[in-house]
Amino acid sequence: MSGSAFEMLRVLVVEDNHHMSSLIRTLLNSIGIREVHEAGNGAAALDVLREKRCDLVLSDLAMKPMDGIEFTREVRMSPRSVNPFLPIVLITGYTERCRVEAARDAGVTEFLAKPITAQSLFARLAEIVERPRAFVRCGAYFGPDRRRKQAENYAGPWRRHDDHNDLQV
Amino acid sequence: MKKAQVIPPDSYPQMMSKSDAAKISRILRSSEAVAKGARVIKDAGQKLRAGVREYVRELEDAIGDHQITSEKAHDIRGFAETAGLRATGRIADGLCRYFEELEKLDAAPDGAVVTLHVSAIARAAHAEEESSRMNDVVVKELAALVSHKLAETKALHPRKNSN
Repeated sequence: MSGSAFEMLRVLVVEDNHHMSSLIRTLLNSIGIREVHEAGNGAAALDVLREKRCDLVLSDLAMKPMDGIEFTREVRMSPRSVNPFLPIVLITGYTERCRVEAARDAGVTEFLAKPITAQSLFARLAEIVERPRAFVRCGAYFGPDRRRKQAENYAGPWRRHDDHNDLQV
Repeated sequence: MKKAQVIPPDSYPQMMSKSDAAKISRILRSSEAVAKGARVIKDAGQKLRAGVREYVRELEDAIGDHQITSEKAHDIRGFAETAGLRATGRIADGLCRYFEELEKLDAAPDGAVVTLHVSAIARAAHAEEESSRMNDVVVKELAALVSHKLAETKALHPRKNSN
């Protein structure tokens, strides 16, 4: 099952529950991903990213002293960030709208709701590799384009309020 | 307002080539990979259940501190079902929803509701027969209790309720 592309992938798992972290590592190993780094919170994860090259991050939301949202914000916005385009999957048992929106606005690439299954984890990974997201820099935001869908009934030419400045009619 | 700059995927470094991405994606979505992953989770079941029970002990110790109780309940909700403790996860889910709804209403939890949930979570996590009918009954009864208590609380907080 393991292809060479899997063997080249380097994943960082950020999770304060060591049982969950270990399970995710074993799941990644099962598909042939050999290089899996682990960190117990966002601050430790930033240290890992400064030392190890990673292609993808799977991060928990609720951690101390730095949670998954603040970690994502640091990766996206900090001038010291090693790779602001790094795909970040936020794995969370918190499903309230306000938390999901805060994570999205921090620049999370994908969400994965706990409890996880092999199918749900692998589906998120597939989503990330097969459909890399466009990034947007706008005001205080830098991160993946937050619009995922084209409105079916929208036939107009503008998608952003300032698009009309560019449109040649 | 500053104009948004859109950076398409081809304009920044990708983790792999498009052909590798297609290959990997096919493998990740294959029934073989999913079955192997499910076996990994099943094999880890005993360790994971021990982990859940650690959280349950911390949850029991946290009674009286609603902030920590809520955090531990969320940990259990996110973890128990993966560990094969479905009823434990469902009861924790009910407690999490109770805390989440009360946070929206800016209201304090009823200590008895919290204690009943914590006690049921502990019993379910240590039960020999996880999928017993008794667990299903407990989950339903506690869900009914939460609905009733939330209705009472909402009646006392009509302004926030209307949002």
